[in-house]
Amino acid sequence: MKYLTILLIGSMSLMGASTEVVQYMNELSSVAKTENKSFAGFDAARGKEIFTSTHTGKQGKPMSCTSCHTSNLSNSGKNSLTGKVIEPLSPKANPQRLTSVKEVTKWLKRNFVDVYAREGTAQEKGDVLTYIIKN
Amino acid sequence: MKTFLNISLAAALFVGGVYLYADDDEMEHARPAYSKPLSKQDQASAALYKKECGACHMAYQAGFLPKRSWDKTMKGLDNHFGTDATMDAADTKTIQNYLMTYASKNDRITDMKGAVALRISQTPHFVKEHREITQKMITQPEVKSIANCTACHTKADAGSYREREIHIPNYGRWE
Ligand code: HEC
Ligand code: HEC
Ligand code: HEC
Repeated sequence: MKYLTILLIGSMSLMGASTEVVQYMNELSSVAKTENKSFAGFDAARGKEIFTSTHTGKQGKPMSCTSCHTSNLSNSGKNSLTGKVIEPLSPKANPQRLTSVKEVTKWLKRNFVDVYAREGTAQEKGDVLTYIIKN
Repeated sequence: MKTFLNISLAAALFVGGVYLYADDDEMEHARPAYSKPLSKQDQASAALYKKECGACHMAYQAGFLPKRSWDKTMKGLDNHFGTDATMDAADTKTIQNYLMTYASKNDRITDMKGAVALRISQTPHFVKEHREITQKMITQPEVKSIANCTACHTKADAGSYREREIHIPNYGRWE
């Protein structure tokens, strides 16, 4: 089992998240299991739905993760509130991404609130990170 | 690359300092309000400020607002102009201290009838300086908001707002 985790960490970091972020995702996975008995691992398809669907955000207006990051994660985006350019979110296009747990947790909190007017659950956060890593 | 380095060096040394009131020639060469070199610790705080408060928009120079404005901003980051701009407690404290140190010493906002200005762009001095700007100049997609200083002030990031550096998208230079 230990061996498997190491293998998992190794293959995930090849795909673009740092060891630190992979460990964070393992923690999210444990929490998800306690919150949802039928949880069987993170899923990029669910993550895609979280990322691309539109919701009523903090400002009471329709918002989506793609409002700022666009639907092509390898492209630069633009902050829909301020107009400032946002470097690509995909770790493949932007090696800085998903390297720091501090950055990831800070932005996931802010951005879920922007789009969903609430914080994300452990499962939602893990799903959307899995989607970002794969794109 | 060299120019870039020079600019960031200047920015690092003079953070908080702003070239203000450059209306007449004499003042145009006025030194920034805080030109003393920063200590190592202050440099680290300035870098943190630039990173955290420059993530969604330009990191506005501290000298544009007095202490009470920044204090109110830092206490309301969970609802910061309709967005969530919270960060961890240690970073919040460092930035709070940084802003208190480099805030404007003369509270130019006294004529706001006691209200605490959160926006630089609503302070009387700012409004007066920008009275000739038309709505069309602001609402065009390249500018979007009067808070987008860098869209017109090409060196705003480095704290410089001289007239000859102004370039309004689709309108050109101001001089
Ligand atoms: C209002 C604009 C906006 C929206 C909407 C938005 N983001 Fe972001 N996001 C940003 C900005 C700005 C950053 C930081 C950019 C930077 O570091 O250059 C960021 C950073 C991130 C990061 C950090 C990546 C890293 O490691 O540096 C993640 C993850 C992220 N966003 C995911 C999301 C998800 C998931 C959603 C939808 C729930 C979303 N974002 C919606 C603006 C937005
Ligand atoms: C998550 C994004 C985000 C972060 C991080 C952020 N801001 Fe903002 N800020 C905004 C938005 C959105 C606006 C409104 C912009 C507009 O009206 O065009 C704004 C506006 C402002 C304004 C008013 C500008 C004006 O004069 O009209 C000030 C001052 C300001 N922010 C200071 C800060 C400080 C200080 C920090 C760091 C503690 C910070 N901001 C971090 C999103 C952010
Ligand atoms: C739409 C373009 C535009 C935007 C956006 C803008 N400005 Fe200006 N600003 C101008 C112009 C034009 C002037 C010169 C006005 C004059 O001299 O008649 C000016 C003047 C100034 C001055 C006075 C400089 C002097 O010569 O004394 C300061 C300081 C300043 N702006 C700061 C800011 C800040 C800070 C922001 C963002 C919060 C900002 N401006 C946003 C166009 C803009």
